[in-house]
Amino acid sequence: MTTTEQPAQPLAQRFVGESVKRSEDLRILTGTGSYVDDVQLPGMLHAAFLRSPIAHGRITGIDLTAARQLPGVVAVYDGAGMQGLLAETAKAPGIFGPAPVDFTLLATDKVRVVGDPVAVVVAESRYVAEDALELIEVDYDDLPPVATAAQAIDPESTPIFTDLGSNVITGPDTNTHGDVEAAFARADRVVRANLKVHRHQNVPMECRGVVADWDPSNESLTIHGSNQGVGIAKMVLSGQLGVPAHQVRVLCGDIGGSFGLKIGTGREEIATAALSKALGKPVKWIEDRNEHLAFSGHAREETLDAECAFTNDGEILGLKVSMVVDTGAYPGMGAMLGRMVEGMMPGPYSLEALEFTFRAVVTNKAQYVAYRGPWASETFCRERMVDLVARELGLEPLEVRRRNIPFQGENPGNMITGRSLTSATARESLEKMAELVDVGAFRERQAAARAEGRYLGLGMATYIEAAPGPRAEGGGGLGSEQMRMRLDDDGVVRVFTAQMPHGQSHQTTLAQIAADEFGVPMELVEVVVGDSDQVPFGFTGGSRSATMAGGAALHNARDLRQKVLDVASHLMEASADDLEIVEGSVAVKGVPVSARSLASIAAAAAVEGALPEGVDGTLEVARNYDGGKGGWSGGTHCCIVEVDAETGLVDIERYVVVEDCGKLINPAVVDGQVRGGVAQGIGAVLLERSAYDPETGQFLAGTFLDYLLPTTTEVPRIETHHLETVPLDPDVNFRGVGEGGMVVSPATVCNAIEDALAPFGVKVEEQHLPPLRILELIGALED
Amino acid sequence: MNVELTVNGEARTAADVEPRKTLADFLREDLGLTGTHLGCEHGVCGACTVIVDGDPVRSCLMLAVQAQGTTITTIEGLGAPDAMSPLQTAMRDCHAFQCGFCTPGFLMQITALLEDDPNPGEREIRETLSGNLCRCTGYESIVNGVLQAIEVSR
Repeated sequence: MTTTEQPAQPLAQRFVGESVKRSEDLRILTGTGSYVDDVQLPGMLHAAFLRSPIAHGRITGIDLTAARQLPGVVAVYDGAGMQGLLAETAKAPGIFGPAPVDFTLLATDKVRVVGDPVAVVVAESRYVAEDALELIEVDYDDLPPVATAAQAIDPESTPIFTDLGSNVITGPDTNTHGDVEAAFARADRVVRANLKVHRHQNVPMECRGVVADWDPSNESLTIHGSNQGVGIAKMVLSGQLGVPAHQVRVLCGDIGGSFGLKIGTGREEIATAALSKALGKPVKWIEDRNEHLAFSGHAREETLDAECAFTNDGEILGLKVSMVVDTGAYPGMGAMLGRMVEGMMPGPYSLEALEFTFRAVVTNKAQYVAYRGPWASETFCRERMVDLVARELGLEPLEVRRRNIPFQGENPGNMITGRSLTSATARESLEKMAELVDVGAFRERQAAARAEGRYLGLGMATYIEAAPGPRAEGGGGLGSEQMRMRLDDDGVVRVFTAQMPHGQSHQTTLAQIAADEFGVPMELVEVVVGDSDQVPFGFTGGSRSATMAGGAALHNARDLRQKVLDVASHLMEASADDLEIVEGSVAVKGVPVSARSLASIAAAAAVEGALPEGVDGTLEVARNYDGGKGGWSGGTHCCIVEVDAETGLVDIERYVVVEDCGKLINPAVVDGQVRGGVAQGIGAVLLERSAYDPETGQFLAGTFLDYLLPTTTEVPRIETHHLETVPLDPDVNFRGVGEGGMVVSPATVCNAIEDALAPFGVKVEEQHLPPLRILELIGALED
Repeated sequence: MNVELTVNGEARTAADVEPRKTLADFLREDLGLTGTHLGCEHGVCGACTVIVDGDPVRSCLMLAVQAQGTTITTIEGLGAPDAMSPLQTAMRDCHAFQCGFCTPGFLMQITALLEDDPNPGEREIRETLSGNLCRCTGYESIVNGVLQAIEVSR
């Protein structure tokens, strides 16, 4: 697979498009990586947090005396004490959205969720710190818990934030696109469903954590973290601690997964940094799995009441959707989710009209966080409704999709919510899927199986993903990706990226692009990540890196190459146009003996007087990339399941993906992203749920025996096929692929399960279908 | 208590080990072998798996003092970056892992499996690895890596 075995291939395409082996694997496979818990500093202390055992209550007393007296304990702080360690101007952390609320880093007056941090112990070991937690006495007066969105919407519910007066923090706001009345009036029929996406969560294998190292001698803070962007963490910590940003340095080594969770800086991370500053010693906090499951953050928990208007020919005319998101106790991104879901709701379909209503509520549950395709309930909703339309009309779901999704050649126009569908190849992916999966043959097999009392089902779903999305008319909208690139006098091209990889293989993929464009072997490219003193501001998320960082790598490498050739032309007394970079050397074209190593060029350029006056000898470039024309990723998934009507177990017999993320940088990396996303979607449907007791608000999924992740025996082999159909740019046609697998797989699996259960007349309205629920749906167990 | 044991072929001794200290924490903190990872600390995720006297063991569920006199292999004992073992090489060829956090547990579980049965089929591989959680890959690439390692060893 390595490209050095293919010398005939043109230099400029040696690495991009190949499944180049990952440079990350040299450390990951040998136990020599460096994750945050691997950081051990001299004199380092350990923090542990005392957390609320109840969902909602008032703190009436707290006694830290016994904990402070335990040998090995260095300090114990409650909420009020912690406030004294923070900047006076510090705002409630991690909050954005329309409803700013007032709360403290550790709870002072109230606890609002099981797991809310109430106090923190710093000790010589984590063992002692946890011993001390058991010596802290806290008295609570219970408040009535708000454990469901329905309770939160009830005006009689106890306000979780008294200054808001209500537990509804956004909406209901209704927006319409197109003529909704006319679309519904013209329709022959309307189907309705009350769709439910359950609460589940990211669950990276590495929990959160931080090592904070305050240096009293120069009043600077060094953070060893596990965050999706070192710059964001630096800004938050600077503001919370009142330390000037230039005296905060955030370092991240290897990160054991995130999937959106670690974009922000958690309250415990801020507290740990404050403790290091107060104590003048390094302090480590590593979240344990129980803390993680209860409090690190949860995703989804949305209801979507949907109506779909359509003709007897299967033309879908319009949708009305009313969405409620349960954002948990501390409002953040969830409060702003509506606009994302609304914008994407039409997907690639030629809808005439959409009415969308959004409400966000707070409840006594863990905070909403981003999880791999936060807007994904639009795909679940739309693709479920399409199958319900097909069922209503007795049509094949594939056929209904064909009647409503245009080909690129048919001038697809804009989504009814505004964005251009140019480069969205959902229909092409659908047709490819129809070639790969013989639906007619399946129906025959399905009928034969049913005659034997076996329940097979086939489900499809189609999506598009704004990764990065199309550039709006008149430009703008894709953001800007910063990057620096430098040729050093060791002959290595160093790429300083704002991306903060946590499994995405950026240190390989960005090196592939830069090596091809600059003209060096990959070993001579080093991708520098995770140091706020070295890398530009940015983060990894939103499936933006392929286009944005990939494009930045390509253009910076091109600029740097030209700059090196310009400098070399003076040093080698040849025109830059006559020079080329081959295998780490600069040479006059066709004269290999003239070759001079890049290291010697870089060293020579730095010598005073080596270059004519006015020639810039700094071999460094920094160009921001604006995403060009952008473009869509997307595709179609299909799965075939068998449901065991006696046990309720679902077996996935076949899972096929057709996806289009433009030009593949590294096919093995793309396949890995796709499979991983699909596995998470399968887990979401069949296994995972962040369960709370609906009466008490008690958290019920605090271990891996309660929160079930998919294993090798549940996740099937996934057949992955790629379209690379619509080049929009002369150079940069890589598009993101991180989220799509997770966006569309829940609808795919649910559609297949409903199809399998058709003989029982089952209508699938919820996304979570564990065995017990399936037995309820088919009437084998009481609902 | 004192603990004497052999880790990755080297005799190691540690004095004053707290009886309640887990083997995982002992390996990571006292012996500096941070390649072994802790993913759940309740015996489910398998990230902390090491080989103790030939058997795969969850080092979060074993106490360091229980390891007295044992012979242990951790991921650091498999092969260094410039001298990877055939299993590590096969895993790299197959892009088996992404974030790498679960990796030590998988590699040790697979090592124990292949020592026991050098030629398992995919079904047996999947059943053996069903006690190790990976959140990134969907497992297919890991299974492919094991199959390739078996193929290469033939």
